[in-house]
Amino acid sequence: MYRDNVTWVYRLMFSKVGNQPDAEDLTAEVFMTALRPLRISASIPEVRKYLKMTARTVLASYWGDRMGREVTYIHVDVPEADEQRPVASDAPDKVRSLLERLPDNYRCILELRFLQAFSVREAAAQMGVSVANAKVLQYRALRLAAQTSGEEAP
Amino acid sequence: MTRTVRRFVEGLLRGQPTGRARPDDFEAQQMKAAIELRSARLGSDSPREEFVTDLHRRLAGTTEPAPDGTRRRVVVGTGLAAASAAAGLVVGRNLLRPSGAPGPSAQGVLEPNAGAWRAVGASADLSEGGALAFDLGSVRGFVHLAAGKLEAVSGVCTHQGCKLWLDAPEQRLRCPCHSTSFSLQGANVTHQLPIAPAPLPKFQVREANGVIEVYAPTEPA
Repeated sequence: MYRDNVTWVYRLMFSKVGNQPDAEDLTAEVFMTALRPLRISASIPEVRKYLKMTARTVLASYWGDRMGREVTYIHVDVPEADEQRPVASDAPDKVRSLLERLPDNYRCILELRFLQAFSVREAAAQMGVSVANAKVLQYRALRLAAQTSGEEAP
Repeated sequence: MTRTVRRFVEGLLRGQPTGRARPDDFEAQQMKAAIELRSARLGSDSPREEFVTDLHRRLAGTTEPAPDGTRRRVVVGTGLAAASAAAGLVVGRNLLRPSGAPGPSAQGVLEPNAGAWRAVGASADLSEGGALAFDLGSVRGFVHLAAGKLEAVSGVCTHQGCKLWLDAPEQRLRCPCHSTSFSLQGANVTHQLPIAPAPLPKFQVREANGVIEVYAPTEPA
């Protein structure tokens, strides 16, 4: 039960919080929480559904504690099959299409910083701008990305 | 760009856990976009093998059959009400980290009818962050320094009276009976009981001439 599910639960959490320590804590919490109810003989889809519901509650509680609001949340209506794929969700596709709609320099700074793990300094050198400039670019790019993805949301 | 978002993004890109903030709508939207971007990084969303193994071990540890033959009820605390209620058990994030949430009942100070100041150790033996165990026969407990101030709490679990032991590296007082643990200040940190056990009573404690003294009941005549 644990080994079959730990990876997708972790990936789901990572996709919602974006950092390893919190993703690990939340994953642990999901399994700690779900442990007892799951010991009763449950079918595989039931186990998955229960873990997901638990994950949703755990994530909501985490954001409530950290930010007083749900910055991200887990959709329960995502088809189960999606989580069995090696990649947890369609996030990379979504991000790609989001990036494609941004101006070149904005797309470039976000790709370097978030996807390729460049430091501000490295990203600035790569783009041929000053460090201060790169910082400003990054924050403006993120603002625009947030607006763009916000408009797209239902 | 607000400071809230900037701080969040900087932490995120450094791989740090998320701190507390109170973002508005648009700030939260930017955080969400940052998380989506960060988690789209290739190869960064697989769990560490050590984490997977360690969690497995922790889960196995909580599922050993209890002495009465039933399975133990696992984990408990505050927080997480909804899923837990649905699941018929109470669970909280404070198994994983101290929550700092107030306990279910107030923490009293031990005030015996007849007491005396009794030496429990030398001040030199106690460093900031450390703790000193003492046993005076009638009472036992642990004294520690908190921001230069002496504090002492009972060393007896408030659930069923088992003797607590000092887990020095974790700065916890642990109960050998039911996986209950307390902070050095006496607050309940983890437990697996239907209701959180009360915090540990405090002792009056003072320092006199380099000696730590606790106000304890006098021995019966």
